[in-house]
Amino acid sequence: MNPLEGVVLALQQVWAHKLKSAFTLLGVVIGVTFLIAVITIVEGMNRYVEEDVAGTLAGVNTFTVVRRRRVVTGNEQDDARRRAARNPQLTLRDVEIVQGAVPEAWLVSFYEDRGLPDVRRGDERRTNVRLVGGSPDYAELQGWTVETGRGLSELDERRGLRNAVIGSDIIESLFPNESPIDKELRLGAHRFRVVGTFERQGGMLGGFRDAAILIPFSAYRQRFSRSKNEVDAISVKTRTEDEFVEAQQAVEAALRSDRRLRPGEENTFHFETSDDILGTWRTISRILMTAVPGLVLISLVVGGIVIMNIMLLSVAGRIKEIGVRKAIGARRRDILLQFLAEASTLSLVGAGVGILLGIGLATLVERISPLPAAVPAWAIFVALTIGLTVGIASGIYPAWKAAVQDPIVALRSE
Amino acid sequence: MDKKEVIIQTRGLRKEYEMGSETVYALRGVDVDIRRNEYIAVMGPSGSGKSTLMNLVGCLDTPTAGEYTLNGVAVQGLEDDELARIRNREIGFVFQTFNLLPRATALHNVELPLIYAGISAKERSRRAEVALERTGLADRMDHKPNELSGGQRQRVAIARALVNEPSILLADEPTGNLDSVTSADIMHVFDELHQEGQTIIMVTHEPDISERAQRVITLRDGMIESHDAKLEHRPFGV
Repeated sequence: MNPLEGVVLALQQVWAHKLKSAFTLLGVVIGVTFLIAVITIVEGMNRYVEEDVAGTLAGVNTFTVVRRRRVVTGNEQDDARRRAARNPQLTLRDVEIVQGAVPEAWLVSFYEDRGLPDVRRGDERRTNVRLVGGSPDYAELQGWTVETGRGLSELDERRGLRNAVIGSDIIESLFPNESPIDKELRLGAHRFRVVGTFERQGGMLGGFRDAAILIPFSAYRQRFSRSKNEVDAISVKTRTEDEFVEAQQAVEAALRSDRRLRPGEENTFHFETSDDILGTWRTISRILMTAVPGLVLISLVVGGIVIMNIMLLSVAGRIKEIGVRKAIGARRRDILLQFLAEASTLSLVGAGVGILLGIGLATLVERISPLPAAVPAWAIFVALTIGLTVGIASGIYPAWKAAVQDPIVALRSE
Repeated sequence: MDKKEVIIQTRGLRKEYEMGSETVYALRGVDVDIRRNEYIAVMGPSGSGKSTLMNLVGCLDTPTAGEYTLNGVAVQGLEDDELARIRNREIGFVFQTFNLLPRATALHNVELPLIYAGISAKERSRRAEVALERTGLADRMDHKPNELSGGQRQRVAIARALVNEPSILLADEPTGNLDSVTSADIMHVFDELHQEGQTIIMVTHEPDISERAQRVITLRDGMIESHDAKLEHRPFGV
C-alpha cells in the first residue's frame, strides 16, 4: 500500500544522517564494490585474452607441437602428467617430419629458448631476458612485427650468424637514446649484432615478446644449447580454419607413424593451441569468479547484519508511530512493507554507491596497471539484485517485529 | 426521543487479562447502545475500565466474552487485518497527545488513513484538503507538526480522524494537553461536527466537557455505574 512512503522515508533518513548511513551501508558498499571491480576486471581480461592474447601468443590458425603440455590448466590428471613426463624430446628429425606432412605453403617454424642471466652492452647490463633461437619463419608465425632494421633471414640461419632482433624492453634498458641497429650486445660470453627491433606488444603478456632477443636457431644451437638437435616446439600456421584441422590430423598421423605408436596408444607429444591458453585463462577466471563471491558474501552478510540492527533500532524508536498507523487502519502487511521498503532502499543505496566505487576502482586499476576493464550490464543488474536481496533479508525480521506490534501497547509507548 | 438507528451495541462485554499471576477483570459485562449522531461522554476514575471500553469500541482489541456489533457487523472474533479495515473505514481516533507523524506535513498526516484505504493519490490530497478546511487549517497544510501550536495539531488530528468519513469519532481526552482557551476552541469543533451529524464518543475527566455531551456513561470497576440520559429528552437541534 505504501512501500513508496518507506522508500522516501529511507532516502530522507540516509540524507539526514549521512555519516551514520555511511557506516550502516559500509558492508554492502564494500561487498558490491569488490564484486563490481572483480567482475569488471575479469570481464575485461576475458575480452583481452580472447581478442588479443589468443591471437598474439598462439596465433590464429596456429598449432604448436610440444613434448608435453606447458600451460597447466588444472584439470589435467596427475597420472596423465606423469606419463607425459616420459615423452621424448622433440628433435630436428621431428621438424622434418612435420614439414613433410604439410604443404610448403604453410608456415612451419621451430625454436628453442631459455632465460638468460643477463645481456650486456659495454658496462650496461640487463637481467630478465628471454633468449629465443628460432627458425627464419619464427617471428612471422608468432606475429612479431619488425619495427626497425630487419628480421632474421635464411642466410642468418644457414650460416649461423650472430645477428639478433630485440624487443622493446631491451631497447629501453640498453639503448634509451639511440638506435640499437648495428650495435653490439654480449649475450653471456658471445657477441651478437643487433639487426632489427620488434614492435612493442605491451599489455600483460607483452613481457614475453618485449623482453625477448631472437637469434638464428643455428647460432643458438652452437652456443647456448645443451643438445645439438633438440627443439622446444614446432609451430604450424595454416591459412584457414579448415586447413588447421586437416594439418593437425596430418601432423599427428606422421608423428605417430614415425614413433611407431599403435592404435589406441596415447600420443607421446602434445598439441598446443590457442584453446590451451584460453583454457588456462578460463580456469583462472573461474577460480576468481567462484572465490570472489565467497568473499563478497562475507561482507554482504556483515552488511546485512548491520542494516538489520539499524532497522531494529529504527523500529524500536518508532513504536508509537506504528501504533498510530495501526490505529488508523494499517494492516500487518502495510507495516511490513513499509519497513521492508526502508531496509531495501538503504541496501540499494549501498549497492548503488558500491557500483560507482567498483567502476571507479576498476578504472583506477586499468589506469595504473596493464589490466583492462569492461563493465558488463549484467554485473550492475546482479549488484542491484544483491542489494535488494540483502535489504529484504535483513529487513524482514525488524519489519515483522514492527508488523506484529499490538496497537494498544504501541500507542501507549513513549 | 429521536429513534435513530443503533450503530454500536454491546451485550455482556467482558475483558480479562493476565497481569503476572493475577487476572484483571477490566470489564465485567457492559451493555451499551449508541445511536447515530449521539454525542457520548465516557467518564470514570482511572482503573474503571474506560480505556478498555474505548479500545474495544475502537476495534483495537477484541473482548474476552460478550458481543459487540458495529454498524451491523459482529466485531468479536474478527481477525487482525479485518479489525484494521474496520478501524480504517468506521472509526476516527483523536488522541490526547495528537499522535501525528512528526516528519510529515499536516496534509500528509491527514492523507494517511486514505493511503491505507487504497485511495488514489489525487483523490487523497483532495479529500485531505477538504478535511483540513473543515477543521479550519486550510492555510497550514504544508506545515509539519513542530511548526504548529497544540490546538492546530489537534485540529490536524481531528481532520485525520474525519477524512475517511467514519461512523464514529472516538476521542480520548482530546483537550488533556491543551490550555483552557484552546480547549474551548477544540470543543467547539466537536460541537460543530456533532451538529453536522457526526457520532462522537469522548473519554474525559472534566465535568464541564461532559456537560456538552448528550449522555454521560460513567464506569466503575468494569461496570456501568450510571447512564446519565439528561439530554435524551431534549429534542435535537435545540
